[in-house]
Amino acid sequence: IAAHLLRTSPSLLTRTTTTTRFLPFSTSSFLNHGHLKKPKPGEELKITFILKDGSQKTYEVCEGETILDIAQGHNLDMEGACGGSCACSTCHVIVDPDYYDALPEPEDDENDMLDLAYGLTETSRLGCQIKMSKDIDGIRVALPQMTRNVNNNDFS
Amino acid sequence: MSFVQIRHISSQINRKTVSIVGSGPSGFYTAYHLLKKSPIPLNVTIWEKLPVPFGLSRYGVAPDHPEVKNCEETFTTCAEEFSSPTNQKHKFSFVGGITIGKEILLKELLDNQDAVILSYGCTGDRKLNIPGELGTKGVFSSREFVNWYNGHPDFAKDKRFTDFDWSKVSKVGIIGNGNVALDITRVLISNQIDEIWENTDISSLALNLLRRAPVKDVKLIARRDFVHSKFTNKELRELWELEKYGIRGRIDPKFFQKEMFDPSKYDRAFNRRVEMCSEYLKPFNERSKKNYKKAPPPSSGYDKFWELDYLKTPLKINRDDFGAINSLSLCNNRLNEDNSLQPLKDVNNIMTYKVDLLITSLGYAGVPMPEFSKLSIGFDKDHIANKQGRVLTSSGEIFPHLYASGWIRKGSQGVIASTMQDAFEVGDRVIQDLVVSGALSLENSIDLSNIKHTTWKDWERINKKELLRGKKEHKTRSKFLTFEELWNGVEGI
Repeated sequence: IAAHLLRTSPSLLTRTTTTTRFLPFSTSSFLNHGHLKKPKPGEELKITFILKDGSQKTYEVCEGETILDIAQGHNLDMEGACGGSCACSTCHVIVDPDYYDALPEPEDDENDMLDLAYGLTETSRLGCQIKMSKDIDGIRVALPQMTRNVNNNDFS
Repeated sequence: MSFVQIRHISSQINRKTVSIVGSGPSGFYTAYHLLKKSPIPLNVTIWEKLPVPFGLSRYGVAPDHPEVKNCEETFTTCAEEFSSPTNQKHKFSFVGGITIGKEILLKELLDNQDAVILSYGCTGDRKLNIPGELGTKGVFSSREFVNWYNGHPDFAKDKRFTDFDWSKVSKVGIIGNGNVALDITRVLISNQIDEIWENTDISSLALNLLRRAPVKDVKLIARRDFVHSKFTNKELRELWELEKYGIRGRIDPKFFQKEMFDPSKYDRAFNRRVEMCSEYLKPFNERSKKNYKKAPPPSSGYDKFWELDYLKTPLKINRDDFGAINSLSLCNNRLNEDNSLQPLKDVNNIMTYKVDLLITSLGYAGVPMPEFSKLSIGFDKDHIANKQGRVLTSSGEIFPHLYASGWIRKGSQGVIASTMQDAFEVGDRVIQDLVVSGALSLENSIDLSNIKHTTWKDWERINKKELLRGKKEHKTRSKFLTFEELWNGVEGI
């Protein structure tokens, strides 16, 4: 039907190969989801993320921030498909067993979503449901690999 | 904007071009991943057959699950960021109201673009294929029913719904055991509880008709047993929790008793389901854990029921003199040890359920695009033949530059989180291939000036109007219900 609508633009015919140039692009605000508060001196809480490539990142954050907010505020690979409302499993994290018991127990709605998480472990939680507090200062969490199960060795 | 220049090189950036067919969660998450992760500049176009975006998020997700639709915020941020003609590395366009294969051929996209990704979901219905399924009043497929109450322009004003006598619907049968079947059960059994529905974006036209139905009894009918139910715990829990409105769930003890299931043989999700059902089936005061005693039933007791019914095969839909459904004939099934299913069609095993409404919820079926056979694109039963998202020809070779993601890649299974994961994995492969591939030697653009379509800006206008209408009606959104209204929504503001 629309064959006649195809138009060849002659000026473009000369370019035959792609040059992969990396131009100085504007910084994309799209990549910065969260807006994290800066902790007051003396009130910083620490959290360490173990990324999918095994590298570690430690941040100083405020009490009350969720792990999802912290991860997105620092452009880590964590999605919050439902906007942090405990209606999906995309912010699944694996908590260091040393810290797991210090967390308040998950509610039914969180467990219902964890049922559907990839690579579920005994210490899996949703990042949107964990708020930073003094009880878990220094917490370590791993982002799950999608293609294999994460186990406790990832923390050693 | 009426001219979409597919190949965009105006600002000294050579962008490789990617077209995605379908703007539901799989299409949009694929676009999002490409725009976020590609090391080389891309010009991504999403093609959508409706004038408005978001597919099953807008027209499939239940109206009382607004949090599931929050993925639309991610898609919107992504579209806004890359639609503006600034010095962005990547560029994004949305083209709505155009069906690939109709106004524009798939072949044209393949000739024009460095990569084409098919993310158009599953657009057909699986059928029972029994007498009475077609042409009987009060028999609908889940896709039709869900699209109707969600205000899809193909169904919102369909006479099969609007002319149906809802005031006679007391007993309902739903065939199927997935989350869609549970969504429909919830809509029907709580139809007269305004606090659940009136502020949602459910079609007001549908809600007003649904409210007339004095629904008392909904049976969810499955061919297999409790172990094989496909729904997830969240949706099942929502049904049990309706007991505070006097709505009670039932399962016959011959299909469910806690002792039937050895926990060591099943996974965590299933064992949690067993606990949930065994607790909720007990009288309120006899339950052991406080999370099953959140809200007691009303003092007047229960007056509406939903029931999980197992091991039945529907045989025939029976009509009254006016062509409306009045009952469903079924037989018992036997589940053999090798998991094969055996319908027992002898007289002793045949029964009849009186039903006033029947919804078949057997899953959505993937449908090949019209050009597939001509282009030798492979199709396996209900999804596109592919290897890790790279589409295969009908003889099993890789079809160059063509990909599939989401339900049309794997079949209609999984929640948005799994669709997202699938989209990301396919997106990674597209990037891998684009980084090493040469560009097309011929560069074309597709002139849309003679084809009616919508842009992202048009959708923003429609969206604004729907939200405004919603505000006036005390709803989160009031959708335009016909194509005419949608196209008119583009005008003004």
